[in-house]
Amino acid sequence: MTFRPKHMDVQAASRDLRLRTLSQIPRPLDQLIYLASLRDYNTGLYHHDGLASRFSEEAACEALADCHREAFRQLLSTSLEEIVNELQGYMQTTSSNPVEFLAAWKGLKPYRVAVPAETDPLAAEFLFSNLKVALAILENRLRASPVPAPAAWRQPPLVQ
Amino acid sequence: MIPLIFFLAIATGFLVLLFALSRRNPSAEGSAQALLEARNALQKLTLGLLPPDFVDHVFAKQDLEYVTTNTSKEIRQLFLDERKKIALAWATEIRRQIILLQHFHLGHSRHFARLSFSTEIGLALDFSVLRLECRALYLLLSLRGPYGASYVVGQTAAAAARLCAISRKYLAFLTPAEGPPLPDDSAQGGVTI
Repeated sequence: MTFRPKHMDVQAASRDLRLRTLSQIPRPLDQLIYLASLRDYNTGLYHHDGLASRFSEEAACEALADCHREAFRQLLSTSLEEIVNELQGYMQTTSSNPVEFLAAWKGLKPYRVAVPAETDPLAAEFLFSNLKVALAILENRLRASPVPAPAAWRQPPLVQ
Repeated sequence: MIPLIFFLAIATGFLVLLFALSRRNPSAEGSAQALLEARNALQKLTLGLLPPDFVDHVFAKQDLEYVTTNTSKEIRQLFLDERKKIALAWATEIRRQIILLQHFHLGHSRHFARLSFSTEIGLALDFSVLRLECRALYLLLSLRGPYGASYVVGQTAAAAARLCAISRKYLAFLTPAEGPPLPDDSAQGGVTI
């Protein structure tokens, strides 16, 4: 049996999530990826232990879904220039090698599974299309001025 | 013998009737399926395809200007190709949803709403013109790219929005009546869901 949480509980959980967690993640792209990572691929339900313990599993799930949709809407209305900046900012926070990051994002297209369920397909395609162009722009920039790899990215020396 | 033939004839008649009923189009007049399709089409148009913010974002030149001034020719071409795909998908989807709404109006609306003859004729004409506009828009976008048909985009979006407003009126009975407002505590910095 599915239990439907009270509207007020969901509101309170959303507020709590925004205040405690999402305020620490200013960029909508980062929020979108973070919230998508809290979703179970098999069930489509969101899980957040802290939020569930303060409210209920169901209220937490709906609050997370609501914030996920909001992050998507924000990103959808963002200009291409801003998406390029967001993607660059996100890439820097992952501390990945930019070349590897761009190759993985171009190849695996992880953003395709980061959209909320029941998103309008055309809206989702519009965002994917913008991200594809943003990746190409970043790749072009990287090719024009390659970033020297920090120590963490370099291959460790082979010890005989 | 005569009663047997009589009953056989009646039984055959019933069988033929049953067969005819089972062969009827599932989207028969007044069916719930048609209503559902019309409501979904209306929702898709008003919430997904026609919001001015979305249309402006897809067809406005801000992104093109950014790409033109800040990136290479290859990236500009990639951007134009991508935006063209989205623009064509938008025009196709508008036409598809408008056709669904038109089917509802042609086949079923008179069962749910009292429409005068002149209104029905007017609506049929509006739908047909809009479908032609969508075709023309698709052709223009294919030939001239996403930024070569701004005027027709505006006209099509406005015409579709007008038809949506009319359809919403006829499908209003599907929308539950608004009850008393729920207590809202979102004034303290929260949000309304």
